[in-house]
Amino acid sequence: MNAEVVALSAPWEALIVCSLLLFAPALASQRPMPAWQLGGCAMTLGMALFASSGTVAFAAIALGGLLHAVEAWHQTRTGAIFLAASALLCFGASAAMAGAQLTAAFLLSCLAVALRAGVLPFHVGVAALCDRAPVVQTQQLASAIALVFVHLRFVDHHATAVELAPLLVRYGAAACFIAALMTLVQRDLRGLYRGTTGMHGGMLLAAMGAASLGNFAAALLVAVAMGLALGGLGLVITSLEARVGPVAFAGPGGRARTFPRLAAAFALFGGAGVGLPGTAGFVADDLLLHTLWMESPVSTVTVILSSAMLAVATLVGFSKVFLGRTTPSLAPDLHARERLVMVMLLVGLLTLGFAPWALLGPADAFLSGGG
Amino acid sequence: MTILHLALAVAILAPLAAVAVLGLRVLLGDRHPSELNTFRTIGAGLLASLVASAVVAGAFAGLWAPSYRGDIEFGDWLRIGDFVIPGVLLVDGISVTISAFAAALTAVIARFSRSYLHKEPGFVRFFVLLGLFATGTQLVALAGALELFFAGWEMIGIASAFFIGFFHERDEPVRSAVRAFATYRLSDAGLLIATVTTFELLGSARFSAFDRAASLPPAESSIIALLFLVSAMGKSAQLPFSGWLPRAMEGPTPSSALFYGAVSIHAGLFLLLRVWPVLEVSIIARSVGVAVGLATALYAAAVVRVHTDAKGALAHATLAQVGLILTEICLGWTTLALVHLVCHAFLRLGQYLKAPNTIHDTHRMGHQHAGAGWLERAAPTVAARVYSASLHRLRLDDRIDWAFSPVLRVAEALDGVDRWWRRVLSADGGAQ
Repeated sequence: MNAEVVALSAPWEALIVCSLLLFAPALASQRPMPAWQLGGCAMTLGMALFASSGTVAFAAIALGGLLHAVEAWHQTRTGAIFLAASALLCFGASAAMAGAQLTAAFLLSCLAVALRAGVLPFHVGVAALCDRAPVVQTQQLASAIALVFVHLRFVDHHATAVELAPLLVRYGAAACFIAALMTLVQRDLRGLYRGTTGMHGGMLLAAMGAASLGNFAAALLVAVAMGLALGGLGLVITSLEARVGPVAFAGPGGRARTFPRLAAAFALFGGAGVGLPGTAGFVADDLLLHTLWMESPVSTVTVILSSAMLAVATLVGFSKVFLGRTTPSLAPDLHARERLVMVMLLVGLLTLGFAPWALLGPADAFLSGGG
Repeated sequence: MTILHLALAVAILAPLAAVAVLGLRVLLGDRHPSELNTFRTIGAGLLASLVASAVVAGAFAGLWAPSYRGDIEFGDWLRIGDFVIPGVLLVDGISVTISAFAAALTAVIARFSRSYLHKEPGFVRFFVLLGLFATGTQLVALAGALELFFAGWEMIGIASAFFIGFFHERDEPVRSAVRAFATYRLSDAGLLIATVTTFELLGSARFSAFDRAASLPPAESSIIALLFLVSAMGKSAQLPFSGWLPRAMEGPTPSSALFYGAVSIHAGLFLLLRVWPVLEVSIIARSVGVAVGLATALYAAAVVRVHTDAKGALAHATLAQVGLILTEICLGWTTLALVHLVCHAFLRLGQYLKAPNTIHDTHRMGHQHAGAGWLERAAPTVAARVYSASLHRLRLDDRIDWAFSPVLRVAEALDGVDRWWRRVLSADGGAQ
C-alpha cells in the first residue's frame, strides 16, 4: 500500500476511536446529548483531526470544548467552567499558531491537555465531571484524544518542546504517582473514578513529554487507551448508579451475582486502565515505559509503581462494589444497547492490544512528519 | 507457517479463544450457560492446548523431523522506530517441559473440577479463570522475550487473585485476594522495571540476548538480577512475602492444587531459570537468593508443624520445598532444580486434590499424635519459642501492614489536601 495512504489512515483511525466515545452514551441511552450538540462535536472532531493547519485544528477543538461545557453546565458548573477554560486556551493556541508563536502555542496546548485530562492540580474540572457528570466526562475524552493528536501533530516538534520535555516527563510522573496514591484511600466509586482519571492524566502528560523527544506514537496510544478504558469505566459507573444509586465503599457490595455483566465490564475496563495483558493499556504502558526510560529512569519507576497502586485500588474498588454477600435488586443487568456499546469499546481495546501496529504504524509516520 | 508455528500459537491461544467464546455468549445473551456447555467450550480449548504442547515437545525431541530448538519468530508485535516488541517464542528444554506439564495439569484439574464444582454457583467463572490461567502459563512457558513473559505473568496473577476470592460472599476470601494481588503487583512492578532495564542495557529483552549479560558491569547485572529475584520472591511467596500463601487457600481446592501446589507457585522459580545468565554473573543476587530460600524453608518447616488445617499445612510444606528449589537455582544446580520443580508439582497436585478426603478420613479415624521431636528433646525452651513464633507465622502480615501504614497515612493527607483544593475552586454547591 502507498506510504501516503497508510499515513493518512492515522486521522481516520483516531476519528473512529473518538466517535466511539462521543456516541457511546447516546447509543447506550445514557442521558444523550441533543442531536445538534452531538453533531457539532462530531464535526469539530473531524475538522481537528483532518485540518491541514494548527490554527484550524485548535479552533475546532476549542469549539468542541465549548459544546461539552454547555452540556456539562446543568450538572456541574465547575466542570463546565474548566471545560470552557480549556476551550479558551485552545483558542489561544490557535491564535498563537496563526502568529507563528509556537512556544506560546505549545504551552497553551499543554495547559489545555492538563485541564482536559485531569492532571493534578489542574484536575478540579475533570474531578467535578467524574463526580457529577460521568457521561459528559466520557464524551469529552473523545475531544481530549483529538486535542492530544493535534498537539502531537502541530506543536510538539520544535525546540521549546524538546527543552521542556524533561520537565513534562517528571511533572507527569509525579502527578501520576500522587493521584494513584490518593486512589488507594477513596471511599466511594466516584472517588475511584476520579483518582483513576487523575493517574492517567499524569501518565498522559509524561507521555507527551516523551513524545517531544520523538516518541509520538507512544503518547497517542496512551491517550487512546486512556480514553477507551476511562470511557468504558464511566459508562459502567453510570449504568450501575442508574440502577442502585451512588455507591459508597462502606462494606462489601455483593452485586456480582445480581449484575454479572456489569461486574465483568467493570473488571475489564478497570483492568485495561492498569495494563491488563491483551488490551491497549498493556501495550501503551509498555511502550510508554521504554520511552520514558530514555528521559528519566526515576520517572519510569514512579509510573510503574503508580500503575501497581492503581491496580490494587481498582481491585479493592471492585471488591467493595461487586463482591460480598449478595444484595438482591429488582433492577436488570446491562440491557442490550449498553452491552453493545461496551462490547464495541472492548473490541477497540482488544484490537489495539493484539494489533497495536494498526494504529501506531500510520500514526507514527503521520505525527513524526509534523502532519 | 510451519507446524511448529501453528502448534505454539494453538498452545497459547486456544484456551483464550475458548474464554472469548464463552465470555461473548454471556455478554451478548446467554446469561447462564449450562455446566456442560461451559466445560465443553473451555475443555476444548485446554485439550487443543495440551495436544499442541505435545506437538511442540515432539518437534523439540525430533520425533518426525530434525530436532528444533531456539527462537520461533512470529513477526513483530510492535515496531516503532528502534523500539521493537518481538512476537517471539522460545523452544528449549525448559520451555517444552514447563509447557507440557502445565497443559497436562490444567487439563487434569479441569476434568476434576467438572465433578468437584458441580452445581457450584461460580462454575462458569471458575472455568473462565482456568482458561485465562492456561493461556498465562503457556505464555510464560513459551515466551521468547520478557514482554510476552510479562503478559503471561500478569494473567496468572489476575486469575490467581480471582480464584482466591472465588467464594466472595465471605469477607475473608476477598481480603485474602486483595492481599495476594497487592503482593503480585509488587512482584510485577519488579519484573517490569527489570524488563525495561534489561532492554535498555542489553538492547533487547529476548531471552536469547541474555547471554550478553556477562559483558555488563557487575553493578548493572546485579541490579537486574536482584529485580528478577524480588519478582520471583513475590510470585513464589518467599520471605518476607510468604504471608499471602496460606490465605490463598481460601479458594476452591482444585485451584489451590493447580496454583499453589503445582504451577503458579513455581512461576517465580521458572523466571529465575529463564534469566539464569543474568543471575549467574551476580554473586550478590545469588547469595541473597540462597539466604532467602533457606530462611523460607526453615520458616515454613517450623510453621507446618503447628498448623491445624490440612490445606494450610500443605501450603507451608510447599513453601519449604519451593525455598529449597530457590536455593538450588541460586547455587547453580539448575537441572536438579528443574527436575525437583516438576516432581514437586506433581506430588503437591495429588496431595491438594486428596486433601478433602484426607480430612474426612482423619475425622473418621482420629488423629495420631507424634512424639516429641529432636529440638524438643534437646532444647525445650528454644522449641517452645519456635512453636510460639510459628503459631502466629512470625507476624509477617502485621509487619508488612506496619511497613505500609505510613504510605496510607500520606495518601490520606494528600486526599485531604485535594478535597480542600477542589472545594476552594468549586463553583458547585454541596460537599466535594
